[in-house]
Amino acid sequence: MYPKRTDHRLQLSFDPQVFDQLARVLDADGIVSRPSELKVYECDGWTVERSTPELLLRPRTTAEVSAILELLHRHGIPYVPRGSGTGLSGGALPINAPVMICTTRMNRILAIDIANRIVEVESGVVNLHVSNAVRTQGFFYAPDPSSQMACTIGGNIAENSGGPHTLKYGVTTNHVLGLELVLPDGEIAQLGGPLDERCGYDLVGAVIGAEGTAGIVTRATLRLTRTPEAHRTLLAIFADVDSATRAVSAIIAAGIIPGAIEMMDQLIIRAVEAAFHAGIPEDAGAVLLIELDGLACGLDDGAQRVTELARASGAGEVRVARDEADRATLWKARKRAFGAVGRLAPNYATQDGVVPRTRLPDILREITQISARHDLKIGNVFHAGDGNIHPIVLYDERKPGDVQRAIDAGRDILKACIAMGGSLTGEHGIGAEKMAEMPLLFSPEDLIVMSELRRVFDPLERSNPNKVIPMPGSCVEVTAPHRQAPL
Amino acid sequence: MDDSVTHTARELERTIGRGRVRLPHYESRAAQVIVEPENLDETMELVRKCERDGLALAPFGAARTLAQIRSAPVELGISLSRLDRIIAYASDDMTITVEAGLTLAALNMHTLTHRQRLAVDPPRPELTTVGALIAGARSGPLRMSEGTVRDLLIGVRFVGHQGRLIHGGGSVVKNVAGYDLMKVMTGSHGTLGVITEATFRLRPLPTNYTLACGKYGARAEALAAAMRLRELAPMVHLEVMSGIGARSLGFEDDFVVIAGLAGSEPEVAHLRDQVSRVLDGVVFTNAAEAIRTYERLRDFIDHENATGTVVAEIAVPQIELPRVLEACGSGFRAHVGNGVAELFVGLPAPGLNGDSPLADPYATISRWRQATHDARGILRVLRLPPDARSRVAIFDDPPPAAFKLMRRLKAAFDPRGIFNPGSFVGGL
Repeated sequence: MYPKRTDHRLQLSFDPQVFDQLARVLDADGIVSRPSELKVYECDGWTVERSTPELLLRPRTTAEVSAILELLHRHGIPYVPRGSGTGLSGGALPINAPVMICTTRMNRILAIDIANRIVEVESGVVNLHVSNAVRTQGFFYAPDPSSQMACTIGGNIAENSGGPHTLKYGVTTNHVLGLELVLPDGEIAQLGGPLDERCGYDLVGAVIGAEGTAGIVTRATLRLTRTPEAHRTLLAIFADVDSATRAVSAIIAAGIIPGAIEMMDQLIIRAVEAAFHAGIPEDAGAVLLIELDGLACGLDDGAQRVTELARASGAGEVRVARDEADRATLWKARKRAFGAVGRLAPNYATQDGVVPRTRLPDILREITQISARHDLKIGNVFHAGDGNIHPIVLYDERKPGDVQRAIDAGRDILKACIAMGGSLTGEHGIGAEKMAEMPLLFSPEDLIVMSELRRVFDPLERSNPNKVIPMPGSCVEVTAPHRQAPL
Repeated sequence: MDDSVTHTARELERTIGRGRVRLPHYESRAAQVIVEPENLDETMELVRKCERDGLALAPFGAARTLAQIRSAPVELGISLSRLDRIIAYASDDMTITVEAGLTLAALNMHTLTHRQRLAVDPPRPELTTVGALIAGARSGPLRMSEGTVRDLLIGVRFVGHQGRLIHGGGSVVKNVAGYDLMKVMTGSHGTLGVITEATFRLRPLPTNYTLACGKYGARAEALAAAMRLRELAPMVHLEVMSGIGARSLGFEDDFVVIAGLAGSEPEVAHLRDQVSRVLDGVVFTNAAEAIRTYERLRDFIDHENATGTVVAEIAVPQIELPRVLEACGSGFRAHVGNGVAELFVGLPAPGLNGDSPLADPYATISRWRQATHDARGILRVLRLPPDARSRVAIFDDPPPAAFKLMRRLKAAFDPRGIFNPGSFVGGL
């Protein structure tokens, strides 16, 4: 049956013989070339810019990935890796990369080793499936991005993903011990392993967060964390965001590290209440969702201290979730807050800045001013314990000028974060979205050294080209933010 | 001293001052001449000079580590002892930015008033500079609950090729902007550049810190008890010490299990109850006495005056640790919650004679290495008598494809090959 051809006309910018060779590597479902099907892959969760790949490859094994990359390398064809496409910075957007390689068919959990507290997975395994596989044995995989029902471990590794519970448990890089990486020339490298120490340079640490520019991760050894004995979930209700953010600092300064501290402001509370009826007072200025975890015998004491600190910072009321159902409702409101925002405006765009935790009141005041200046509503729902903000800029793309104002407001917020000693991104990555802002954080020499590090893995810069580090002429001109489904 | 080094030393005396160029003391195995730059500019100029003149250099902090493993000294040791400022301590944000010449002990003294610490505990924090802490990637008992330096380092500055001052990360606890240069520098043993500044996330000091010690006559029993304890409850740390190690903590027994407990009063009471069910003849201590014992536990492995000592760190899958330690048969300090242990022979304890008479270091390391590799583990030598260094591989060889990347990394960051050459994995 090989070489196989398609019943539609291929639109390829490279030698069609490469297609035939790829078809020998992959099964029939492994190649998508029909334009109507490729349309689905034109963007990830960052929908501002769209670009359809010419060809989508869906390998099932490391050997297939290696064969594909070797072939593309030989023909000088750049590619873009993709997991589930839930990323929020355009990391999986094809820019000068005609071929997309999607890892979602490599979705096996290969080994669960509870005794050694590790699990080995293929990179297309969905994040939540890892925790589900070990839950009954009293363990979980700690990084929990809000997209965890869909996002893949490979995508998490590319972006060094976080989530609400990273305040206490850390991000992806703290929980990945080993990787199998297929380099852009097809060579397979085993980096790290099932151990708590490394031999030589920490290449695992260098690949995590490299946003797919080091090659394609095909397998990972993940550390498992013991499920805490018990939880206590509190909802602290404040008149304004200032006092809520002061409470965050007070709690952590008291030496308490909760599992999570999440904040929602009034705009978001109203949207969430309309959607989920979580029982949050709609006239509240801000709420904190605080979750303590640990030994059951310590939680009453901890909850008491948190309550006192929240009240001292101005909380009018602090509720403790009565039972698991109550807790689930509160978390549903938080994790699906972005979905609820759809009720407020036809379009929205989110940002992912970071400030030192104590500057949260300042950045939120600044966001209020930015909102007024651009005449756009901005809601806030974010990981307050980490100082990782996710302002949601609401707009209507049908209104003249709205789109540009939304873009400008987002950039103003990021600049304000950096001015306060913060960062461009806490967990969404630079991707295609924020390349232009990288020089605000890093000197030209920093960026040169980072490029040199990238070329250690990918000397010809063919793995996810035009990402992370701005190159002359490579930046995408952002003109139209679209709705997204953020974390 | 080589003629070229003598020449350089004289030149440096003229340019940066006589008082800041000196001969090495105990670190003589690491460098022929030690230079103490006053500031960043001088450090950058020194790196440029070394590249121009083709001189090898080693950052001094790492040199202290290197003094115990290098077979021949590099030409120039750069001591950052004058770059020891605290640049910013944001206690409410629980972050600190310091220059790399500051010692870990001085850092933690500074943050003590806010009941915070940099929660990584290699031996002898008063002699461990921040630069050495990162470059050497040493850890201690706290790794069980707090992770290692790679988990706590959130920003780094280093002087690299061409004397460029490079920075990665930042001063916020969550940050994915740009490539993770912190991870690249951690454990790089001074081979990629001179670390000059670092930002760390801090952690709260534990409350009601309590030590539980159980005493055993047999290795297997002690390790089995510690493995059971690992299953039970969250702890600050969990170690098993053997022989001279146990005696250095004041125990007469051959093996001792030491668990650090902390939390609120009800939590510690609960933990004590759990531990009592597992450990034989458990003794609890707290307050100053617990801290004294913990400090001995932390420092024991790095005895300053031990000549003829062999120390290595192994990492194996957690449940393999008892079997590997049995096969090695030597003295050890085992971090049971991490599958990591330090093995030793010839380590003296205060007021005691040395441990078992020193066997042939080559044969000893070979035996340890074999047992570790049989369990799919890795080994690195931390300390070796000078005359054995040319015969013993300090590091394991990484897998070929990984090593190829490491060679490229070294070539990219250090194209002139001046940063502590020849003493890291595969001779990098």
